[in-house]
Amino acid sequence: MSDNVVIIEDLVKYFDGRCVLDGINLKVPRGYIYGLLGRNGSGKTTIIRILLGLEPPTRGRTFLLDAESTNLSAKVHGRIGYVAEGHNLIQNYKVSRLIKLCKDLSRQWNDEFFNHLIETFRLPMDRRVRQLSIGMRAQLNLSLAMAIDPELLILDDPTLGLDTVARRQFLELAIDIIQQQGRTILFCSHILSDVERIADRIGILAGGKLVVDCPLEELKKRVRKLRVIFPESAPANLYMTEIINQQNQGREMIITVANWNQQKQTVLETFKPSSCTEIPMSLEDIFIECTKPSTVPVTDE
Amino acid sequence: MFTLIKKEIEDHIAYFIGAAVLSAILIALLISAMYQPEPRDMPVFIGLSIPVIVILIVGFPAMGSTQMYTDRTRKISTLLSTLPVSRRQILCARIITGILAILTLLLPLTITMVILFPLFTPPIQMYLGLVWEIFAAAFLMAFACYCLGLLTGWNSSKIIPTLGGLVLTSILLPLIFVKGFGLHTVVILLLFIIASLMRTWHTFMSTSL
Repeated sequence: MSDNVVIIEDLVKYFDGRCVLDGINLKVPRGYIYGLLGRNGSGKTTIIRILLGLEPPTRGRTFLLDAESTNLSAKVHGRIGYVAEGHNLIQNYKVSRLIKLCKDLSRQWNDEFFNHLIETFRLPMDRRVRQLSIGMRAQLNLSLAMAIDPELLILDDPTLGLDTVARRQFLELAIDIIQQQGRTILFCSHILSDVERIADRIGILAGGKLVVDCPLEELKKRVRKLRVIFPESAPANLYMTEIINQQNQGREMIITVANWNQQKQTVLETFKPSSCTEIPMSLEDIFIECTKPSTVPVTDE
Repeated sequence: MFTLIKKEIEDHIAYFIGAAVLSAILIALLISAMYQPEPRDMPVFIGLSIPVIVILIVGFPAMGSTQMYTDRTRKISTLLSTLPVSRRQILCARIITGILAILTLLLPLTITMVILFPLFTPPIQMYLGLVWEIFAAAFLMAFACYCLGLLTGWNSSKIIPTLGGLVLTSILLPLIFVKGFGLHTVVILLLFIIASLMRTWHTFMSTSL
């Protein structure tokens, strides 16, 4: 049994001649919460759909729980919980009927946990799915995905449409799951504070490539935003590699650098700056910097 | 698999009710026609075949088409594929449901014919294979029409599923009138069914859900 629950090898996907994913390589180790980030249309959902075998790749291979995605057996599917973006539930079914269908088709079903979730979310069993609010649909989808005690939980923007309380409940639930040994979560979201709160490892998609793939703490250490003041006007070029962003204004220069290290520190010091202060960056700041065009890769390899 | 078949039957229960009601009406008409004094009213027998033909042309392609169209638009298979269910199982359950609907219409009718024909035919040796030939041809005809519905139904446009099955069925149906019942018809229909199912299978297995 591999230590990596999710493996993506050189994944390429074209839609109508447009390259959405351009050679993605990714591994998610067992027991991690992996936060996959990217702007709208960056290919997050496409990666998940390819992983689940819902979409064929143009090139490359993907594996879930040691099984190739294009050939996932029902048994492997039974070990994966999935909350889809937009919540693919059968809209004309009553909640109770949908639950019964999922229960009957599942190989294992944790009734106790499921009932606890239903009570927590206060989901009405007698209403049709289409009559539920978006938030309620998200809760129902999440409850169905969780009821099978999944080894791998794939969440595609799961908190979309949830109110603050429900979002908090959801995140706490995700943390609870991860505390159960061996559980892994692959998590896509636009709400970066959610990802920051629960993810161990971050991947950022931009321009069809995975420009960031490293642990969250590592990412915060590696991407530095500096305010540098020079005695005279700021130099136009620092002759430094992996500069994500650079803004000069008189003596002041604000630069964002990827993979910051001692060598780069030494290069900067050759320009004899008067002062150099670090500007703290949240995940949101890093995300914005990393999703700008021609971003340099930030990886831990 | 049983759960999937049950789900398909529940989702398309209207077709089963329709088939059962039609079958009951046809049986009633058949019995009443048989109990008429000689000479029997032949238009009644001819009239009996009309609803069957209409159902074959409209009903079964519509059922196949509806199954695939609602799946596509409501993303039912997308949900099912994320559960411990394979696409192969989804499609097999769907086809079995179609066969069950056809049998709901034809089986009671055939049983009635098997019982009634020896009672009311002239006292000569009856060709026993006749009823089975009629049943086989009608079943294969209905199944071929249903398969055309499946084939044309996997489409996000409303026009192709509605008209596609109907047009193809209208082309297929005259075959039975030209060739009559028998081995030729059975072979042609079987080939037609295999081709439709293979195409449907390939499309459903390889498409994005």
